[in-house]
Amino acid sequence: MFINCTTFDDDAKSASADNGMPTLRRVKISSEDFYKLRGSVDTVRPLVESVFDDIIDALVKPLTAEESSPPEGKDEKEETAGVTVTAESYPAAAEEFNRVFLDNRWGDGLPMVPPTPERVKWMLSGTKRKPNEVLGKINPKQGTATIEKIAINAVMAGAKPEYLPVIIAVIEAMTDDEFDDLHVLASAGSFNLLTIVSGPIAAEIGMEANIGFMGHGWRANNTIGRAVRLSTLNIGRTWPGKNDMALTGRISPHTFFTFSENADMSPWEPYHTGRGFKAGDSCVTVGSIHGESQLNHFYGGMIGTWTAEGILDRMVEDLVRTGRRGYFMWGTKGVGKYLGSGVGALNHMIILFPELAAEYKKMGFDQKGLQDEVYKRTSIPYDDLNPAERKSLQTAIELGVIPTDRKEVFTTALKTGGRVPVLIAPEDLHFFVAGGAPGCAFSFNYYRIPPYNKTALMTRRITGATLTRAGKLE
Amino acid sequence: MSEQTVKLELLNPRGMVEAMPVSAPNPRVADLAGKRIGLYWNSKPGLDNFYKVFEELLKERYPTATTTWLRGAFLIRDDDADAWLPQIDTFVYGVGD
Repeated sequence: MFINCTTFDDDAKSASADNGMPTLRRVKISSEDFYKLRGSVDTVRPLVESVFDDIIDALVKPLTAEESSPPEGKDEKEETAGVTVTAESYPAAAEEFNRVFLDNRWGDGLPMVPPTPERVKWMLSGTKRKPNEVLGKINPKQGTATIEKIAINAVMAGAKPEYLPVIIAVIEAMTDDEFDDLHVLASAGSFNLLTIVSGPIAAEIGMEANIGFMGHGWRANNTIGRAVRLSTLNIGRTWPGKNDMALTGRISPHTFFTFSENADMSPWEPYHTGRGFKAGDSCVTVGSIHGESQLNHFYGGMIGTWTAEGILDRMVEDLVRTGRRGYFMWGTKGVGKYLGSGVGALNHMIILFPELAAEYKKMGFDQKGLQDEVYKRTSIPYDDLNPAERKSLQTAIELGVIPTDRKEVFTTALKTGGRVPVLIAPEDLHFFVAGGAPGCAFSFNYYRIPPYNKTALMTRRITGATLTRAGKLE
Repeated sequence: MSEQTVKLELLNPRGMVEAMPVSAPNPRVADLAGKRIGLYWNSKPGLDNFYKVFEELLKERYPTATTTWLRGAFLIRDDDADAWLPQIDTFVYGVGD
């Protein structure tokens, strides 16, 4: 039997059904009481006493006929092929459409564009891929993502057909068998999604990469992100407080964080070249990031003076602080199926403004060179580590949390006179160039291994475009 | 009442969800006396205190019952489940949420 708080009751019920055991017995405890009283045995005692008999009953009371033979699940096909609304005028019909969709939890709370067959056909003109092509499943309900469903949601988001191949590539990444979309879409931790477009398609479709690139006013940035939001909401079937338990909501909830590299001003090759793609390709990189205030600012900008070395120092300081804080969890298996999942070592997505990247280039660094330099600078003297940190890192080697190909680095480092990395590998630093002049440098981070799958950072090539010169590849 | 003049046909944005095989919970134990009860904890704070009180109350009512704390991932790992199965007769899964 399963114990859950009242706040999570819908979520627990939904998860039981999603995992094939709809009649799993659950005992609810009051959220109001549990979170307040759980801090000690004495304070939580009255709450346990109040539900003790219910727990015992759940363990020993024979299953009812209904519990023993839960009805077979049925494919939840679309309730109807669609919906028809009628009204006296177009504004009234549009209002009614928005009401019906939001009442059905098919919307995100902002007014949407009606997904009529004509409009969806227009959206599909942006890709040569077939409408019935299946990309994969979206959590938590494992809804099937097809090109057509993504196009419907893209229409609702207000996107244009030339954006569709980018949106498709994001969903392709999120539905990859190895990508953890569950944590970012459903976790109480208010985690969030970062999408960065690199390569020539970004400028061609009008993505903003200059001053204000993470803000409002940019139809491509904003509606690509919104189409991803609506697609995940409708295909994966999430809803706030029901099975998307983000306590504060997810900041920038309607569009996530969606922008492009500034190819015009960047002194480097696009980010995706470091991930095995060609410079001329157009790609999306999709990554989960910590929620709420987990943006780390390294400055730049126009108020204070800055130097490339000074910003590097701030970056190193932050990486050491956040990395070392996680050392104590490196020596655990993690919270999921894969070793080190959801705890310990981090990935860092670091956004550099073009002038800063140019300075680093003058210093002789490309992205790979900067990765190696920062990795070196963030290593900590072994002799400075406390016994608990040393033990945790040693356990991480023994458990295999530190992967085989990095074992020697850490084994060598964990000795008197050694320097111990705060990151598993230099490749866990991801440098993007975005923003204008002046700009600022900042980063997001997230678990190197997420809780529910192998990775939450993936780069996919954009394909199948029909309306742009870039992204046409099959 | 005015004649309705605008009609919008709208496509459904939701993805199809395929039915998955359904399982029933295992039959219950008839009584907890002498039984080995697993208490699963995913390490979220506070559930340990909850379980400590639960163990005390259990001992009072079923002095011959024993408890085993099972500590693991958010979703129980298959290898953990295989290892624990021979050690318990029934179990409680609690999360700190």
